[in-house]
Amino acid sequence: MCSFGHRSTSLLGLLVMLQATAATAADSANPVSPASAPASFVNDVMPILTKAGCNSGACHAKAGLGQNGFRLSVLGFEPAEDYEHIVYEARGRRISVAAPDESLLLLKATARVPHGGGRRIDSSAADYQAIRRWIEQGAPPPSADDPDLVSLAVEPVSMTVSAGATAHLQVTARFSDGGTRDVTGQAVYESNDPARAEVDADGTVRIQKLAGRATVMVRYQGLVGVATFAVPAGPPAPMPKTRNFIDDLVFENLTSLGIPASPESDDSVFLRRVALDITGTLPSADRAAAFLASSAADKRERLIEDLLQSSEYADFFANKWTALLKNRRDDSSDLLSNFAFHAWIRDSLLTNKPYDAFVRELVGATGNVISSPPVTWYKRVKDPKEQIEDVAQLFLGVRMQCAQCHHHPFERWSQDDYYGMAAFFSQVGRKPSSVRNEDFIFHKRGPASFPNPRTSAGVKPVALGAVPQPISADEDPRLVLVDWMVAPSNPFFSRVLVNRYWKHFFGRGLVEPEDDLRDTNPPTNPRLLTALAEHFVASKFDLKELVRTIVNSQTYQAAGGIEGNQWDMQNFSHASARRLPAEVLLDAIDKVAESTSSFADLPTGTRAIALPDTSYNRSSPFLKAFGRPEGASVCECERSSSPNLVQSLFMVNAADIKAKLSSPQGRAARYAREDRPDSAKIHELTLAAVGREPTMHELLVAAIYLGGAGTGKGAEAARKERFEDLIWALMNTKEFVFNH
Amino acid sequence: MGSKSFSEAMRLCSGPGNRRHFLQAGLAGFTGLSLPGMLRLRAEHPSAVRPSSTAVIMVWLPGGCSQLDTYDPKPGASSEYRGPFRTIPTKISGLHFTELLPRQAALADKITTVRSMTQTAPGHPAGSMQMLSGDMATQDKPKPKYPDWMCATNYLRSQQIARTNPLPRYVGINPPLEYNGPAYVGDAYQPFTVSGDPSLPTFSVPNLGVSNPGELARLQRRADLRQRLDGLQRVVDRQLEMEALDQFEAQAMMLLTDPRAKDAFDLSREDDKTRDRYGRNAWGQQLLMARRLVEAGVDIVTTQLSGPLCGRVGNWDDHAVNHHVFDALRFRADAYDQAVAALIEDVFDRGLDKRVLVVVTGEFGHTPKISYAASTGAGNASGPAGTQQPGRDHWPAAFSNIWFGGGIQPGQIVGATDSRAEAVIDRRCTAHDFLATIYHHLGIDSSRVTIQDFAGRPTHLVENGRPIPELIG
Repeated sequence: MCSFGHRSTSLLGLLVMLQATAATAADSANPVSPASAPASFVNDVMPILTKAGCNSGACHAKAGLGQNGFRLSVLGFEPAEDYEHIVYEARGRRISVAAPDESLLLLKATARVPHGGGRRIDSSAADYQAIRRWIEQGAPPPSADDPDLVSLAVEPVSMTVSAGATAHLQVTARFSDGGTRDVTGQAVYESNDPARAEVDADGTVRIQKLAGRATVMVRYQGLVGVATFAVPAGPPAPMPKTRNFIDDLVFENLTSLGIPASPESDDSVFLRRVALDITGTLPSADRAAAFLASSAADKRERLIEDLLQSSEYADFFANKWTALLKNRRDDSSDLLSNFAFHAWIRDSLLTNKPYDAFVRELVGATGNVISSPPVTWYKRVKDPKEQIEDVAQLFLGVRMQCAQCHHHPFERWSQDDYYGMAAFFSQVGRKPSSVRNEDFIFHKRGPASFPNPRTSAGVKPVALGAVPQPISADEDPRLVLVDWMVAPSNPFFSRVLVNRYWKHFFGRGLVEPEDDLRDTNPPTNPRLLTALAEHFVASKFDLKELVRTIVNSQTYQAAGGIEGNQWDMQNFSHASARRLPAEVLLDAIDKVAESTSSFADLPTGTRAIALPDTSYNRSSPFLKAFGRPEGASVCECERSSSPNLVQSLFMVNAADIKAKLSSPQGRAARYAREDRPDSAKIHELTLAAVGREPTMHELLVAAIYLGGAGTGKGAEAARKERFEDLIWALMNTKEFVFNH
Repeated sequence: MGSKSFSEAMRLCSGPGNRRHFLQAGLAGFTGLSLPGMLRLRAEHPSAVRPSSTAVIMVWLPGGCSQLDTYDPKPGASSEYRGPFRTIPTKISGLHFTELLPRQAALADKITTVRSMTQTAPGHPAGSMQMLSGDMATQDKPKPKYPDWMCATNYLRSQQIARTNPLPRYVGINPPLEYNGPAYVGDAYQPFTVSGDPSLPTFSVPNLGVSNPGELARLQRRADLRQRLDGLQRVVDRQLEMEALDQFEAQAMMLLTDPRAKDAFDLSREDDKTRDRYGRNAWGQQLLMARRLVEAGVDIVTTQLSGPLCGRVGNWDDHAVNHHVFDALRFRADAYDQAVAALIEDVFDRGLDKRVLVVVTGEFGHTPKISYAASTGAGNASGPAGTQQPGRDHWPAAFSNIWFGGGIQPGQIVGATDSRAEAVIDRRCTAHDFLATIYHHLGIDSSRVTIQDFAGRPTHLVENGRPIPELIG
């Protein structure tokens, strides 16, 4: 299949050093080789082809044949091959030294002959002249004498600007011969957030009206850089009282951007929010009533501790991790391993196993599914390449997929890095175990190495950006990898986890997407991400402590948007409403309706957040419609939280929902039977559904509605219907469907 | 959420959010216009959107249709270009199609053939985004930056016209969704999507139509109660999800409560002869459903001709690695020609030819010069893996599409390409012209209408296009 949709996942990368000292004017004036100087294919021609998009994946760098018989390497990372294709292929028609303007390369690029890609280069432009000059000089090949690009400096690196401003980037390349060159015109630019900053092909940045932070990525040859722009909304506003270091750093950022912070939320809002976020479970009416009535100064802290010690905490977070760890039921015989793996994950969370130990047991899993349930991961993820891609994205926030075939444009990782990582998984042995259909996973003695298909050379295990360490034949390389991952100095491991958890509680990561921690994709609050990661390391990878720290912050406990910050979706100035995840919503409906959902092979009353694997989506149209992930990828983005019409039809009228409401064991039936005042029932129902007392208005509306059923003989059925309607109405409010 | 005082509660007894409800009723009718939408609307040019009952059906050929092998044959080109298909005369003297399209050739006096479409993006994502949202970027990206014309129209009409029809304004029948979408107008304006093969006896659209009057009354009572109880304060921010939820709930209620909704999707209400005429296959029945839906008052219908009827890879992307391009075109031609021809006939026979505009297009054409490469797998219209077979790659520089209905003077030919169908030599029609033409039929002056993007910046629907004069009804 042709590249129908190459969704180029941006990989991460450490950046090129952004040299603090900008190139001096004299340096940068050192021009593109003067007309007399020899032209360099790598330094003069290739950047132009890259900038014109010729070697993009959609065009001549398409996998396989390129486009229309002309093939270039993706983004020009293989200059020798590109030279070959340009100069020697097609019977040499692409280059005409005798008549440079008649070179097919230039005829096509300027669309003087029909070109599927249209006109990419203007024949009057300097770029045209640069290529023409190279041809005129006999199209010299890449040579060892060509100076290598060593660094890229982008100016300004960071800048505070006002809305509507224009800034001009200047990009200076430094070469191995000590020379520098202004490559502003040849560099390629891309804004991370076009709503805040747009960038033209010449490096002109146009700041938009929306305040906040925006980053522009810059690419030239193999190197990348970034420039960040802060756009304040107004003068600094006074901030609420801080509760911990999170608030210090969030408020500092808000102050610098002139965005006010929302005040503390009401107790009822906080209770519902924190219960849903930690346990995926609505607080019961009793708990809500007790919490609201309490006047203890530390009642929020105590509530948080209670929630962290609950079994629902383990259920809810196990639900998150089982999808990411692909606990899929591909075959009915997977049931045993699915259940065992889920139980291992849940137990790990319940006992608060340190995260580094959790990852070590998973990545280094050895044995069979009974002795070591995490070997299940190796059942689902069999290929060493997929293993390293999953480990890198999930635990390091590095998306390695592109590097399998080519250098990623905004990433520093190469194919050697990719196969060096894959080599850690090259000695994973697998043989039948005593459990039917389940493999025994073990370390196969021998030197670890993985062939790079391009060069056929065996690549030894090397962690990303690390110095290669010798690994003896007896040593399991996976454990060496884990040692590197969990070292306090590892730049990825703790950062991606805290960012992932941050997003869980705020609906948005400090870095977005949450598992794409490139240096070209910086956090909106870099110091906060660092501080959280350091805190997590210092706590010895204590996941509950991380949750505790986050939810104890004023930032987390803030109310919704206020005048002056409602538009801000980037800097955590206020709480944002998030639709309940599919499983949580189904459980919430069951709780309010006092009904149960039943799932195959599980006891009646098993909650949706406690489902061991993803197979239940097939039997539950509700879970599917509301976007429960299938465990197909390690990306949390697989979970969908967007509303759609099917969901609304479901909530409004699905037979399933109607049956829950009208069940003889349900809440409506109970209320119709019970002999106590309606107001007490309305009170209890409102607490159960939305975690707060009903307003006078709501009491009145509900009481009048219930009164419509009449009294006397036969009224119980009518009253039950009225209670069903009332529950239906409450669970269809936004207040119910959203965590806010 | 603090408790309100009693007097406040009394005042609100007519229903919270009353002001909002009033605004909705006054301006947008039942489908609901949320406050954020209102505020954005004020900054726009209401007069540039005419209230109108016109409709558009877009038949999308994902991957693009080879112009040389269909609507723009070049029998005089060398064998490296022209392909194996004979040309045949059409109802219009001087206009030839290839032998793959005999039924459409016989109806050529009812359609307008544009042979001079051109855009500049060679990849499927960017090419689709140029054609559907007018984003002129040539580099592929995964998600659109601008709303496609369907979502944009849905949004604009939702702001302008009170809708009483129970059907959604925009319905997709196996629609193109991969490289387009609502961008900053929000999910509320996505299509109501019908998926599956409507020719199968098991086909049904779930969850439509409540017929029992008691049940209906109860649903209305519940909805009313819900509105009175929804205590969550609505903040005027860009919480598009909340806005979307309002729209979906209103639509859900209409679909459930109005019997017309169910009928519109029910192909068994067509007589067998009609169903046969379209072809008893997915494509034929999709186009028949499209016709039923516009007759029932849907404004925008998109449907994609894809899947098994296309050949091995399920789309029109006829690289040699995917398909033997000529086998593939022959494989799908009959179902394609039959379905489109039946729709042409119906649009005229049923008096839809003024109100409903139909356009049949893909995101680009295919490379005129035939290339050969090894198949990557056996299947319909593809030899076993490794077989050298002909293919055609992407060619945005020149391609064809057809238009009918919409009050267009039928039987025209717009533009021309050179001797190999490589370049447009007459009446160049750009992606922006394409969009401006569709918007024009929908009563939307695309040169003037702007929609605010995420940053609140008014953004033009189309920057540089103008309606193609021959296609103005």
